Amino acid sequence: GRGGARGGSKVIIEPHKHEGIFIAKGKESMLVTKNLVPGESVYGEKRISIETGEDGGKIEYRVWNPFRSKLAAGVLGGMDKIFIVPGAKVLYLGAASGTSVSHVADIVGPEGVVYAVEFSPRSGRDLINMAKKRTNVIPIVEDARFPQKYRILLSTVDVIFADVAQPDQARIVAHNAHQFLKVDGHAVISIKANCIDSTAPAEAVFSREIDALRAEMFKPLEQITLEPYERDHAMVTARYVRHK
Amino acid sequence: MATHILFETASGYAIFEVKLRDELASMTGAVQTSIQDLGKFKKMVSLLSFSPFKNAAHALENANDVSEGTVSEDLRALLELNLSKPSKSSSIVLGVSDPILASAIKGALKLKCDTSESTAELIRGIRFHAPKLLKGLQSDDLTKAQLGLGHSYSRSKLKFNVNRVDNMII
Repeated sequence: GRGGARGGSKVIIEPHKHEGIFIAKGKESMLVTKNLVPGESVYGEKRISIETGEDGGKIEYRVWNPFRSKLAAGVLGGMDKIFIVPGAKVLYLGAASGTSVSHVADIVGPEGVVYAVEFSPRSGRDLINMAKKRTNVIPIVEDARFPQKYRILLSTVDVIFADVAQPDQARIVAHNAHQFLKVDGHAVISIKANCIDSTAPAEAVFSREIDALRAEMFKPLEQITLEPYERDHAMVTARYVRHK
Repeated sequence: MATHILFETASGYAIFEVKLRDELASMTGAVQTSIQDLGKFKKMVSLLSFSPFKNAAHALENANDVSEGTVSEDLRALLELNLSKPSKSSSIVLGVSDPILASAIKGALKLKCDTSESTAELIRGIRFHAPKLLKGLQSDDLTKAQLGLGHSYSRSKLKFNVNRVDNMII
């Protein structure tokens, strides 16, 4: 249940170096995002309410667990930039049930938009229900391999985040980028080595995926592993230059 | 190269006329820069016609047709109205995003279609500038239309999924 993290006056909120993300410092430090829909948890995560001062107002934050969200793992793992910032338009491929998406929605805030693509109908149902409360999330139950199928729903985006765990992930990201990602926009990709090739060493798989991005007019920027939160996972960022 | 471009939005269909089409195919940084510049891009394309969807159900029907690559009644009517002037029709080439829809349009309306890289580049530009090119449509309006259509489109995908496995046995 609740309790636990709700330390009341003992918890101090500090901004993280990534705009739109915060650190709650109490007995232990936790990554949090500002709850876009105060009073509600999305998937049973803990909430922390902080009094803002003299006027008695409150701001609510939600704890973001790096063991459940690869993007959170990337943030705690020391990514230099994630490009998902307040006001950004994000195309999120592999949205699953929308738990991570809900934090991305918190970060981009009411001025931002998250186009959340998930193909599995079972996860899609949870995604749609999450999006009912968070109106900056546009749920798209469709196959990310075929961006043509959902082009009618999209504007140009600033960032593509991908966590599709498919062998042809770089290609899927590129297909979407060619249609929807603005020039000099960014891709943030979580790569699970054994989803792509379970026989090759993880490092080799990562560098092959990065080469694949390069071939699709991306300029790779950064690569980190998601240890200790995930094994044999990397997170990679790249800038979309779109010319050869 | 395309003389016209079909652009599908959550609010309705738009047809643009291509005014300037030199060297678009070469994917250079200079071409990218001028496409991103609204002033320069407005010299390349101009809105010929916009046909808004009447209501949510109407939008969903059309979204399904766009997704499947079939020519809806509305799209056919819009194309016939704007692009089938007898004297000009021979020289008209419609740029379309999706090759499947392009061949469907070719079959249904005897219109020449183009899905080349330069068409894709123009469609990218239109998507980038859409709120400013589609008159009377605010950026907010487009997002609202996408939100409504995203929900109805996604819900319909759940409804029609015959293989759904939904039995949680604990």
